[in-house]
Amino acid sequence: MGIPIVGVVTTAFSNLVISYSGKQGMPGERFAFVPHPITGVPAAKCRAYLEGQDPVTGKPVLDELVSSLTGKLTAEETATGFIERPIPRVVEVQDTEENLTQLFHNNGWTDGMPIVLPTEERVAAMLKGTSHAPDELVGKMQASAPHEAWSYTVEKVAVNAVMAGARPEHFPVILAIASTGAPALFTSTTSFARMAIINGPIRNQIGINSGIGALGPFSQANAVIGRAWTILSMNLCGGGRIGETYMGSQGNNFNYNNLTFGENEEQLPEGWKPLHVQKGYEPGDSVVSVFNGWGITHADQSFGKDFHPQIPRWLQFISPWSPAILLLDPSIIKQLKDSEGFASKEQLIDWIYSNTKVKAGDYWENYYSVQNFTRPSAEKGVEPYASWLKLPKDAEIPQFSRPERITVISVGGETNLFWQAGDFGYLSSASVDDWR
Amino acid sequence: MRIQSGLTAALAVLMLLLGANADAASEKLTVLNPLGQPPAIARIPMAPRLDTLDGKTIYLVDIGFTDTHQLFTEMQDLLKSRYPKTAFEVRKKAGVYYEDDPELWAEIKAKGDAMIIGVGH
Repeated sequence: MGIPIVGVVTTAFSNLVISYSGKQGMPGERFAFVPHPITGVPAAKCRAYLEGQDPVTGKPVLDELVSSLTGKLTAEETATGFIERPIPRVVEVQDTEENLTQLFHNNGWTDGMPIVLPTEERVAAMLKGTSHAPDELVGKMQASAPHEAWSYTVEKVAVNAVMAGARPEHFPVILAIASTGAPALFTSTTSFARMAIINGPIRNQIGINSGIGALGPFSQANAVIGRAWTILSMNLCGGGRIGETYMGSQGNNFNYNNLTFGENEEQLPEGWKPLHVQKGYEPGDSVVSVFNGWGITHADQSFGKDFHPQIPRWLQFISPWSPAILLLDPSIIKQLKDSEGFASKEQLIDWIYSNTKVKAGDYWENYYSVQNFTRPSAEKGVEPYASWLKLPKDAEIPQFSRPERITVISVGGETNLFWQAGDFGYLSSASVDDWR
Repeated sequence: MRIQSGLTAALAVLMLLLGANADAASEKLTVLNPLGQPPAIARIPMAPRLDTLDGKTIYLVDIGFTDTHQLFTEMQDLLKSRYPKTAFEVRKKAGVYYEDDPELWAEIKAKGDAMIIGVGH
């Protein structure tokens, strides 16, 4: 902007902003820190923070703010040019398997569980799982916007796939996931989770489970593909560094495997399209689709009654700011089709959209995410939120702002009319066939 | 005699196997680096600092995180009393906290001499 600037930041983000500003080209950018949090802290306490000492530097906060705008610049602060950051292809240390494994753990390159060390031989074997050249660029990935994007090749993805215990036949799916650029460890203070749903012939070719226990630890393919997404997200974009590129307050146990499973397409009734076909692919294509959310849960249902009228009540646990995904056992889908008259996923989704409501007053007053993310958009005139803001408190508005925010998936082995739902929303899909 | 030679042979095989395991455990491995390629950093020189706050206009910009505006009104009050010859203007950036606000930046560029911006949660 051409004028002096100083950032005032809470202590929880001190490492993040110092690291981030360095990567953006201003390693000396000036900050003053105040205790965390500020949200909801009364004015008198904020005043005391400002009159007190910076918890990071120990200097008086007000003095620090003023000296940051007036103090002379150092040579470091006025430097120009480029800082290159070369990454050697081979780990510079040669050591025993035990010591190297511990080095990988200590460097933050793993999920903390045992890994397979990526020797030349093992990586070469993994590369046989694709026709693509080792030096071909796969994509770019950020820990989250606005963190910097790192780039990576087929070989780099193979190194991480080996570490996760994957086999060459799993590699095209892992490459497809990497090509989306979506990190498994998306950094936010709210501890996001990810989900990977695999469709098409690849499921049966490599043993991806979509039936009994699909979401559990019963398939090598489900296990290692999901794990590989986490490990490559740590290493291919510098993600998962606590306090710097990972800020999730509680973390999310789904991050170990990212809810990786296949859709049970074979048990979908006529008229109900599998996910990848809904997204424009051919039924014979092999596709992986990635989702973002926080959690899933099961709400009890009443057997012997229609299933669909129970859905709006169950989905009340999801914030109206969030999307929804319904993971339905095929037995429920067959009941929805045969007994309740839903001829397609789209018809069910439209019904859920039209019949799942929230009061306007509840919407605007009781959800932090709505207040933080939606209200500013409403105040800027973005529809439908601007119109919803003008409604009386007891007016009903859709809990999910549009039908596209609802996803229905067939998964399970029909041992129970079981279902789970969560606040996951669709991000993107990638062809697995393109990476064979 | 036959039993003794059999035992000797078995012991020899066991020693060989143990030795092989010890060799494998102590073998030095070369492994590939799992890290992707970070971009080069283009250094940005910081803007020259002010020689004094007197007669200057300092913008205090709230990026808009929910329920944090009180920090900026308190900051304005404290700074005003400490620097009476300086104007301190509080603004709330439009939109969600991560969205750009070109109009505000243009105003600050035209009328401001410096900016304090914050604060997140």
